[in-house]
Amino acid sequence: MMGAALLFWGWQTGFLVAAVAMAAVIEARSLIDVRWDLSRSDFNRISDVSAVLLALIAVYHVLGNDSARAVLAILQWLPLIVFPLVACQLYGAAGVLDASIFLWSLRRRANAEPDYAGMPVDLAYPFVALTLLSASAANVRSGLFFVGFAAITVWALWGVRARRYSTPVWLGMVAAALALGWAGQLGLAAGQRALERMATAWFVDYLGREADPYRATTALGQVGELKLSSRILLRVETPTAPPPALLREASYNIYNAPTWYAVDAPFRHVTPESDGATWRLASRTAEAGPVTIAAYLRRGKGMLPAPNGTVELANLLVVELASNRMGAIRVEEGLGLVRYGARYAGAAADDPPTRMDVAVPRSEAHAVGRIAEDLRLSRLARHDAVVAVRAYFRDGFRYSRFVADSAVGTTALADFLERTRRGHCEYFATATVLLLRAAGIPARYAVGYAVHEWSALERRFVVRANDAHAWALVWLDGAWRELDTTPPDWVEAEREAVSRFTVGDLWSWGGYLFARWRWSEREDRLTGSVGWLLVPLFLLLGWRLYSRRRIARRAARGPTAARAIARGADSAFYDVERALARLAFPRAAAEPLSVWLRRITSAGLPDVNTARLPALLALHYRYRFDPLGLADEERARLAAEAGSWLTEHSREPR
Amino acid sequence: MLRRFFYRQFRIASRVSWALARQLTPAGRLVVGALLTALVFGPNTRLTVGYQAFTLLGALLALSTVWALVPPPRLDVRRRLPRYATAGETVIYDVVLRNRRARAVVGLSILEDLEDPRPTLADFTLASEPHESERNWFDRKLAWHRWVWLLARNRRLDVREHTVSEVPSAGEARVRVEALARRRGRVRFRGLTLARTDPLGLVRALRRLRAPDTLLVLPRRYPVPDLTLPGARRYQPGGIALASSVGDSEEFVSLREYRPGDPLKRIHWRSSARRGRAVVREHQDEFFVRHGLVLDTFMPRGGEPRFEDAVAVAASFAAGVRGQEALLDLMFVGPQAYVFTAGRGVGQLERMLEVLADVMPCADGSFAVLHRLVAERHQALSGVVCVLLAWDDQRRGLLQHLRALGVPALALLVTGADQAVDADELASEGVRRLVHDHIAEGLAGL
Repeated sequence: MMGAALLFWGWQTGFLVAAVAMAAVIEARSLIDVRWDLSRSDFNRISDVSAVLLALIAVYHVLGNDSARAVLAILQWLPLIVFPLVACQLYGAAGVLDASIFLWSLRRRANAEPDYAGMPVDLAYPFVALTLLSASAANVRSGLFFVGFAAITVWALWGVRARRYSTPVWLGMVAAALALGWAGQLGLAAGQRALERMATAWFVDYLGREADPYRATTALGQVGELKLSSRILLRVETPTAPPPALLREASYNIYNAPTWYAVDAPFRHVTPESDGATWRLASRTAEAGPVTIAAYLRRGKGMLPAPNGTVELANLLVVELASNRMGAIRVEEGLGLVRYGARYAGAAADDPPTRMDVAVPRSEAHAVGRIAEDLRLSRLARHDAVVAVRAYFRDGFRYSRFVADSAVGTTALADFLERTRRGHCEYFATATVLLLRAAGIPARYAVGYAVHEWSALERRFVVRANDAHAWALVWLDGAWRELDTTPPDWVEAEREAVSRFTVGDLWSWGGYLFARWRWSEREDRLTGSVGWLLVPLFLLLGWRLYSRRRIARRAARGPTAARAIARGADSAFYDVERALARLAFPRAAAEPLSVWLRRITSAGLPDVNTARLPALLALHYRYRFDPLGLADEERARLAAEAGSWLTEHSREPR
Repeated sequence: MLRRFFYRQFRIASRVSWALARQLTPAGRLVVGALLTALVFGPNTRLTVGYQAFTLLGALLALSTVWALVPPPRLDVRRRLPRYATAGETVIYDVVLRNRRARAVVGLSILEDLEDPRPTLADFTLASEPHESERNWFDRKLAWHRWVWLLARNRRLDVREHTVSEVPSAGEARVRVEALARRRGRVRFRGLTLARTDPLGLVRALRRLRAPDTLLVLPRRYPVPDLTLPGARRYQPGGIALASSVGDSEEFVSLREYRPGDPLKRIHWRSSARRGRAVVREHQDEFFVRHGLVLDTFMPRGGEPRFEDAVAVAASFAAGVRGQEALLDLMFVGPQAYVFTAGRGVGQLERMLEVLADVMPCADGSFAVLHRLVAERHQALSGVVCVLLAWDDQRRGLLQHLRALGVPALALLVTGADQAVDADELASEGVRRLVHDHIAEGLAGL
């Protein structure tokens, strides 16, 4: 059963190679007679190895993982960690483990008291349970987990059933439990979904606002300097062509100062292609790419930055992906680091504009309308209007990370447009969108990152937190196109604000390499990385135990003992014994042959010639018990003399 | 305050674990453990499919529990207990189950309901586990180890579960129960529980039956050599009348004239006739060996195992007197100073062992009381065996006093293996050391 449970675990978690090996080791115990006489210190050492393994795996998973995921990942590894102990129990002469190997206090006691009896622990069934629970952490949601778990559980229960009830009663109860369990798990999953929905609804009601990516609060109107860190967030690689200048995370259609909202843009699940790693987002053909982007995800969830008009994401190893009609891509379930290749068309394939994409809020309508009027935007063709807007911001505006308090009675945006003419990208993007809308041209507000910094250290583009950017999307020629009106010197301004290359970059690079190695496990799981490190460890352990030369044949009590007795079982004396029992009287229970022989001799039975028997018995004893055994000629003599004695007595009439 | 809080928690935890151990089979316990693990790791149904294991295990347990709501049928129970058990040894007794119903009862097992071993708050607060001072600060404050130790200490009898294959209709079944007596004292049986597992083999249906009983567990005893104290026989006031419960000594010494009050049966008629006046037989005044057995009950904190050893040593001497022509006075201080005499038919030695089975350490007395008690009786004593728990001025004083009074004394000091003692001083005072866990060897070497 342990073997079956291990195979099931391996199948579910992807540790199949290890599982097959472990199951083979465990099941081979019925074929291998050898048992090791392991001492307490051997068990302690094995327990220490398991503890070290656990610690290593825990550190490995806790680094760069949130705690819940780390726990689940460690849980998946547990059978591997506990396996050395179980193997030692199964192949140890004692057949059980002592609880002292798990606890230092008990170990101390065991060392202090030589005749400490110990607390025997049988790990077999708990190991099966652990293996099954570990399999659950793999989160294979096909329903096969339930089937496998139920099958092994029922198998285990068969052994402990109360024999006084008939099998149909037992079967009925098991069937009822299975039905109940299946219904229960469906109910539980549905219950959680309902609860989450209720909680979200309550939360939204309570806060009166929606959460990302449905809204983006800008810093419009905030006084002071915008501060962003220079932490590296993304890494961008392109084989040949320059990377896209902008990577979009989300876009929004409704502005209500100071927040942009994505209204009427629910997320829908995207189904991967057959390889499970390619996600097609639009049916158009890609014109550029792939550009490879590596991004960190908090708790395995988050928005994926992608070039405008992304058609397909390749090599993206996540469980669930969703996108909305405004081009935002969200990972619902994934790892701490994702690395994906984005292929994209020149313009976004987001849904065509609605009336929301031309709405100008009433608070800004006055200022925006006047400038639109000044620029005569409504009288220009769309292309010309866009060019005019671009020129308008290029000529008269400056980038500034510092924003002073706006004048009384105006909005921050109006103040920016009419008075200060200085601001950061959110001002430019918002103003651009609203100006275009005022001219009747559909436009959206987009946020994301600007890609411009080549890292000589990493040989790729890096994107930092202070490369976060906002720009406009404009509907031209049947597609959404990027329009970034922020003066290009914003990059220089940001660069001045923080020193570009720091020790932190090196650290970040190291962290990235580790995370990449660490999260690459999904690609080849155990067979690829850390798993192989365990092999020499197990081999070393096995060799150390083996080389102790404490091999005890499975027991001086089991089948081997039977074989030991079997030595000399072909002695010819046994025929003599049978004949004697027939001719004289049978040997009493536990009576040695020699005593019995003396008894027969003293009885002086006329039919039985006992004169030659003591010498024969001596030979027989040597054959049976002398470690050196009998020489061939002596064996022949034993057989011959026994034969002659038997012939002599078979002729005697009884 | 904190101690009281921990005490309450431990009480509840012990109660729950005891109840679970009774209610659940080992398979059931594993299922509960797996259920809880699944609950811990799989509360989020999106992250793992552990919730599926949880619901299946929960369904199994729920069905088993419902099945186990119907208790096994009521039976009449009787125990056939031996008179005594001995600490550290197996005791075998019979439990007779009588079924009055017309249907046979099958598939039962029986569990003994013994006295609640959970200590009282006072016990928990005042007691100290052996080597407790060596534990770390946290363990000392939490005192969980002390709790476990007290539980084990209060459990006088270990009885396994025994299965009863069948109790025939309107008939009896006898179950031979093997139990290990762990500690001296009185084992109080409160009742007996009949258990029957459900078809899945996870949960047991229980029926508690009242069957109160008591079994006295005598102290552990070791072989001891014969007492060869150099003391002489002493005159025993009250003579043999004290020693041989009824009647006078038959050892004739001489004849003397009748004095008023002499029993008529002592008149030697032949001599009286010859002399013409009443002559009576005079008998030997009694001189014989009478030993004192002094048990030091003033236990230092954490000295419980040594106290048990001391009681076992005293019991070994008490039992060793059997058949010897001597009296033995057991002296110790419990709630009050206590002397119990046995030997030469005065008192049953078993009674002395019973007394020793019940002896408790003296928490609030002074060793001087014991000293006085022994000194008062020194004239009658040929020799004294002192079983001591510590070595200090008071104990030294008692031994020196006895020596000054001319009463030879064998002093045995029971110590822990790692306890530091001044071996030279002990040797000069003639004190023999007995080490915990090696008492038998120590006694054999006397």
